[in-house]
Amino acid sequence: MNSLSSYLFVAAALFSLGLLGVLQRRNLIGMLISIELMLNGANINFMAFNRFLAPEPAVGQIVTLFVMGIAAAEAAIGLSIILALFRQLRSINIERAQELKG
Amino acid sequence: MTLGGIFSVETAAQGPFWMVVGLTLAGAVIAVFPRNIVYNVFGLVLALTGVAGLYLFLNSIFVAMMQLLIYVGAICIAIVFAIMLSRPLHLEAPKRNMAKVAAAAGASFLFFAANLAVVFKTGWQAEAQRSGDWTVATIGHMMLTRYNLVFEVISLVLLVAIIGAILTAGYSRRLTS
Amino acid sequence: MMQLLKDPILLAVATATSLPFLAMVVILIFTRHNVRLSCSISVGSISISLLSALYLLITLRHATAPIEYQTAWLLSQNVFVSFGYLLDPLSMLMLTIVATIAFLVQVYSLGYMAGDPGITRYYAFQSLFAWAMMTMVIAPGMMQLYIFWELVGLASYLLIGYYYEKTSAQQAGKKAFVMTRLGDIGFFLGLVVLLLGYGNLNILDMNQAGAAHKIPQYLLTISAMLIFCGVIGKSAQFPLMTWLPDAMEGPTPVSALLHSATMVAAGVYMFSRIFPFFAASPTAMAMALAIGTITTLLASTMAMATYDLKQVWAYSTISQLGFMVMGLAAGGYFAGVFHLTTHAGFKALLFLCSGVFIHEYHTNDMRVIGQKGGRKLYIPMICMTVGALALAGIFPFAGFFSKEAILGVLAGQSNKIWLIGGLLGAFLTAYYSFRLIFFVACPKEMAAGHGHEEADDHGHGHGGHDSHEGHHSYIFWCMAIPLIILAGVTLVLGFSQSSLEHFLLPQSAAAHGAANEGGHGGGHLALLITAVSCAIGGILLAWWEFGRKGAKQEGFLRRFVRVEELFARRWYMDDILRFLLDSVVYCGFTNIFTRNDRRVIDGGLDGFCRFTVGSGRVASFLQSGMLQYNLMVMIAVVGLIILVFVSR
Repeated sequence: MNSLSSYLFVAAALFSLGLLGVLQRRNLIGMLISIELMLNGANINFMAFNRFLAPEPAVGQIVTLFVMGIAAAEAAIGLSIILALFRQLRSINIERAQELKG
Repeated sequence: MTLGGIFSVETAAQGPFWMVVGLTLAGAVIAVFPRNIVYNVFGLVLALTGVAGLYLFLNSIFVAMMQLLIYVGAICIAIVFAIMLSRPLHLEAPKRNMAKVAAAAGASFLFFAANLAVVFKTGWQAEAQRSGDWTVATIGHMMLTRYNLVFEVISLVLLVAIIGAILTAGYSRRLTS
Repeated sequence: MMQLLKDPILLAVATATSLPFLAMVVILIFTRHNVRLSCSISVGSISISLLSALYLLITLRHATAPIEYQTAWLLSQNVFVSFGYLLDPLSMLMLTIVATIAFLVQVYSLGYMAGDPGITRYYAFQSLFAWAMMTMVIAPGMMQLYIFWELVGLASYLLIGYYYEKTSAQQAGKKAFVMTRLGDIGFFLGLVVLLLGYGNLNILDMNQAGAAHKIPQYLLTISAMLIFCGVIGKSAQFPLMTWLPDAMEGPTPVSALLHSATMVAAGVYMFSRIFPFFAASPTAMAMALAIGTITTLLASTMAMATYDLKQVWAYSTISQLGFMVMGLAAGGYFAGVFHLTTHAGFKALLFLCSGVFIHEYHTNDMRVIGQKGGRKLYIPMICMTVGALALAGIFPFAGFFSKEAILGVLAGQSNKIWLIGGLLGAFLTAYYSFRLIFFVACPKEMAAGHGHEEADDHGHGHGGHDSHEGHHSYIFWCMAIPLIILAGVTLVLGFSQSSLEHFLLPQSAAAHGAANEGGHGGGHLALLITAVSCAIGGILLAWWEFGRKGAKQEGFLRRFVRVEELFARRWYMDDILRFLLDSVVYCGFTNIFTRNDRRVIDGGLDGFCRFTVGSGRVASFLQSGMLQYNLMVMIAVVGLIILVFVSR
């Protein structure tokens, strides 16, 4: 069945998988990948609503484009941070970065 | 260009739809579960391509193109570069902590369930007056008039991001060299 | 204030009671270091109090109704506690007694305590006592009486522990205070019960209500029995009696004033004060009668086995107080009060005489005093014999009349056991008092070889002290004059029985007199003869064992060593109390409370702290520094919240 709910289901699945990756992966880059998945899930949500419910189709697409732009910016920053952290920690294992441990 | 006819939801082209969905989800699984980072990147590429296909089904070629361009073409490449630069491939691959995996699975499942609950419980109502204007020209027009501010701000954000990325990567290089 | 000055009676009362308080304050704050000034302030204030008391007695001797001055002190919806003065025959009589004896004792102390370094403190506390006792005596309400009752106890503690460097004196003071306090717990409980149940602690109201049976019987009985506990404590009845012999650690004038004539009589006074209230509860009266009898007999036996001069009179005091309580509890209001009056006189006399001996020979042991030539001090010896005769109840001394009165009341009881107890007590009293007299007057052998004493023996005459301490002859007269006055009073007081009765019980004196006349004749004469023969029998036994020439000076008690030991150890009462204290209070209560304090309270707090630290340690795991765990929890909570809201 191809209705709104299936797209929303796919988006939710993508988002949850990305979430799983963020919570579980030790590799920082792996976490970044998972974050990209989450963003895409959100984007699909926007597009689905835009297709089935929204009054003006262009607005939903614009929002999606903006989210993509932000995702790009965030990926760039994230990667450079990972690089810097790698130089500091000599590793990209997030469990090595526990200096705030109480 | 109206591709709505070919890709309308009433056609018997359910097969392709579900194939694309399957591709996306498979790509996502490959992106999350294996421990080899290169597998993960390829999985991401697969998933993002699948998402572009879903955008096609959602009647928006422009956004699908943009998805491919930006995500697959730029972000994934950048990630590959980062992987190359950080060389985690032959570094440690410690054993999985099953408790952590289980807890993470539990938390994300909980969120998934919550999400689905909202989706299926809400009575989604389409707006009464829906304009059928799916052209790209409209997108451009709106972006330069109504959403002009957001457009400019996002340019600024991208600028700041680039500068920040350069500085962060370069600064720490200067420290450690 | 204006009312104070306009009303001479109020002025007299206020002066009598407040002046010693002012004296105490002035001495303690200002004139601590000036002996002469302090002594004169104290003696001056008590003499003014005495004059005021006599003035009141004379002015109001024909008053038909009691005069009451009251101000409200504690007011609430159901409760009214007042403060003020009540002047009726009983309180005025007691006020006069207290003032007189306090005055005589303070004058005597000028001689006895001369040269003592703490004499100003002594006089300050004497004034404190005088104030407290007098204000207690004229209290219109039981609350005021209770407050000043406690103040009197305080004065007693301070004066018993006067020689505070002596451990035994400190201990004795503490013992006296704690034991009387124990009785006062019951007293206060009784007052509270009465206050809550009846609403008013005014003495006149209580007496009227008690007589008219307006108070429910159970309330009356319970509060009467509890209030009697105060009498047990203060007047050294069984079982709280062992503090009084120990209280002889204080200076002898203190023993004369507090622990013979006035303070210990406060319990008996309180009993007679609310006599109609008490009399409405036969249970309480029966309890009082039993306790009084036991006390009389126990104390008399204890007096037979001791060689300490003051201890004999202390036990005698306990015994006589028991006798007074017997009289009151058997219904003889006048008999009890009359014996209180006469006892105050001759007991103070006996103590003051003993004080002279102790002051002279620096020992309390009657044998040593006798051996050192005690009988050569004529004034004390004669006065002491007078006192002892009065105590034994020999005509014409005061004790004879009062004892007869009480025995007469006891004879009126249906159960003759009380009368037998009273007669036995009279016999024993005569025996032990004359045992003491004969020890002092007819010692077995005079102590030889003490040249100093021998010279005195030969050189002594009537003015013995004169040659001994030449320029201190005022010491001699200060001590001698009160003795003479008290001896005179003892001689004469007995004959004022009927006028005193008329004064105290104006309404019923006529009826009482008629009843007396009716009871005179057969029964009364037989009782008289029995009582007198008991007394004379006691004296003869004492003379046979101690007084006649060649007597062995060993009592018949010596043959029963165990019995004598029982008496000498105060029937092991101190040991029993010590045992109870150790096992019940210390092992029981104190133990429980200490454990509670250590384990429960401290333990609880420590446990709480440990819990806090421990839970902190556990909770610190949350601060793992691991980003992913934080995220996990966050996501899970958000998911849960959404689920909760969606499922509503």
